[in-house]
Amino acid sequence: MSGEHVAVVDLGYGDAGKGTVVDALCAEREISAVIRFNGGAQAAHNVITEDGRHHTFAQFGSGTLRGVPTHLTRFCVVDPLALAAEAKALGNPFHLLTVDGDALLATPWHRAANQRNRATRRHGTCGMGIGETMAYALRAPDAPRIADTLRPGRLRRRLAAVRDALGDCEFPLDDVVDAFTAFARTVRIVHDDHTDRLLAEGPCVFEGAQGVLLDEWHGWHPHTTWSTTTFDNVAALCPAFRRLGVVRTYTTRHGPGPFVTEAPELDLPEAHNGRDAWQGAFRTGHFDAVAHRYAMEVTGGVDALAVTHLDVPDRCPDLRICPSYRVDGESWDRIVPGPPRDLDYQERIGRRLLRARPESLYRPDDWAAEISDLLNAPVVLESHGPTTRDKRHRAFT
Amino acid sequence: MGSGRWSTDVYTAAADYRAARGQSAFAYSDGGARTVHPDLDPQGVFMRESRDSDEHPFSTPIAVLFDVTGSMGNVPRVLQTKLPQLLGLLTRKNYAIDPQLMFGAIGDATCDRAPLQIGQFESDNRMDDDLANIVLEGGGGGQKRESYELALYFMARHTILDSMINRGRRGYLFIIGDEMPYPWVKPGEVKAVIGDELPRKIATEDILHELQRKFDVYYILPTAAGWGGDKEVLARWKSLLGQNVLELDDLDAVCETIALTVGLGEDAIDLDEGIADLSDVGSVAGGSVGRALARLPRNPVVRDAPFEITAGPSGNQRL
Repeated sequence: MSGEHVAVVDLGYGDAGKGTVVDALCAEREISAVIRFNGGAQAAHNVITEDGRHHTFAQFGSGTLRGVPTHLTRFCVVDPLALAAEAKALGNPFHLLTVDGDALLATPWHRAANQRNRATRRHGTCGMGIGETMAYALRAPDAPRIADTLRPGRLRRRLAAVRDALGDCEFPLDDVVDAFTAFARTVRIVHDDHTDRLLAEGPCVFEGAQGVLLDEWHGWHPHTTWSTTTFDNVAALCPAFRRLGVVRTYTTRHGPGPFVTEAPELDLPEAHNGRDAWQGAFRTGHFDAVAHRYAMEVTGGVDALAVTHLDVPDRCPDLRICPSYRVDGESWDRIVPGPPRDLDYQERIGRRLLRARPESLYRPDDWAAEISDLLNAPVVLESHGPTTRDKRHRAFT
Repeated sequence: MGSGRWSTDVYTAAADYRAARGQSAFAYSDGGARTVHPDLDPQGVFMRESRDSDEHPFSTPIAVLFDVTGSMGNVPRVLQTKLPQLLGLLTRKNYAIDPQLMFGAIGDATCDRAPLQIGQFESDNRMDDDLANIVLEGGGGGQKRESYELALYFMARHTILDSMINRGRRGYLFIIGDEMPYPWVKPGEVKAVIGDELPRKIATEDILHELQRKFDVYYILPTAAGWGGDKEVLARWKSLLGQNVLELDDLDAVCETIALTVGLGEDAIDLDEGIADLSDVGSVAGGSVGRALARLPRNPVVRDAPFEITAGPSGNQRL
């Protein structure tokens, strides 16, 4: 995949290892930029370099430790407050960051509304106000955007409108304007043609956030994210790219919602994904081939797979693959995608999944080959551990 | 997904952003200064001089004035980080012989405390000090107008260029901004800011024509600025400067754009050569520069016979 752009999308519920895959792609060859096309500060992509440097990437791209620039496109929700903290942890690499002026601005009022509204918590929320920001923008054409931080007068008006609509937060308007203005003076804000320029300069990596099974339209409503997690946004930004799907050798889910193969008894310690106040426990289970095949189907397929955590099956002898479910006395091995944007249908799938159990479980000899067969795509990247040294590349065929 | 590990406190964020710019060369401004630094104050200045010397016998004057009002947002900050490279770019590829750079800043004389700041022509990185002392006004009139005409007046009447006197070669003046000039140079403002007694107001067109005898004048409109891409602003400057209005989509490319414009003007390169040079020196700005300069007419500033270098390599160096 030498000169081509690559889009990295998680075929599960997130946490499959997009960060480590993006880092490996950036280590493998010269990448112009890592381009983010969904999500916001709630992303958490762990990267550990060969020299032991570890960072949980949220808004900076996972190539940052290798000096690869990050571009946040208009599809991202940008949280300048969280960004400041993340940047500081990275040594303030603001020279590596560009932000599209049209990207939505997550504010403390969005976050406060998110945290007040407990009903939204089951909507896969992280308490960062991303969903509130998206929801507000859907109904308010003057929702604050990144470019507004360049114009304090307009910024103030638009922030005041958010406050009036969503209720006050702990911070006075003036202080937020001050912080956001400081953001604008530090971060390079660009127009949407910046993506084209990056794409013209050389191969780019599109780094997805969350996973296809959490997609706002394709996930199990309402346990989804306010974000397009498929390749659709990439297709809107880039005419041609390789589609790389990422899966783990086992399935994980952070937060509530259906999870048929969940198996808490498996001994699968998780280094970087602990319990947190907003999402609840990090849940793990057997490899869910049914759900991953559904993800492949709704996202239009992938050109290749990256399989991570291939070192885990050896350490966890009880780990299995689940090729089909049993529900209401029937076998169920294909979740049929519904009509476009039919959330009632997605909710019905979710309810049925809650009743489903693994029908059979088996343990393959060669996990990568088996996953390749099950999902009908070649595996081009195998990850046997957290660092780039633990990655094995195979050529795209 | 789900980190929540990054602090989202407003005060910490504001302080962190300021700290991240802690190395800011706008130390004077960031230190709280709100009036023009004495080194940059045009009041009472007779001439800013670009002189030939034994060390720099063939001076090429290049002035860069940028709008520091609020609509420009972080543009001046980005310029500040980029402009110090300009001398190196110009000299590395011999785009200009003995370049002498001057930096200045444009505000709004109707309401700002620092409507005009003008440094000196320098051949070494003393001009970085001028950059450091520029006050970032951040205000502005909100009328899509700033006092560009006052800057044009100063450059026309208060600069002296040996390149012009000795060799008939104009200097280069780049104005980076996102708004329009006021229609007239007003005697009251000239008196207050520069100190000259003008008998009557001067139309902006007239002062520009006067200035163009001395400088090739370019206007760079960064599309990242507040009025970036604004049709009215573009139309106004095009009516004044024709094709010398450059729309720049990537501020990082500002030095390269200026360097190549000078290289083209000096007939040192053509555009393709210039863009190839940029890639040679590891710049990724070629695309933006190419787009900005694509329609620039190739009219070298040579007024007299073609000019030959006779004194060996330029004495210019970066300290």
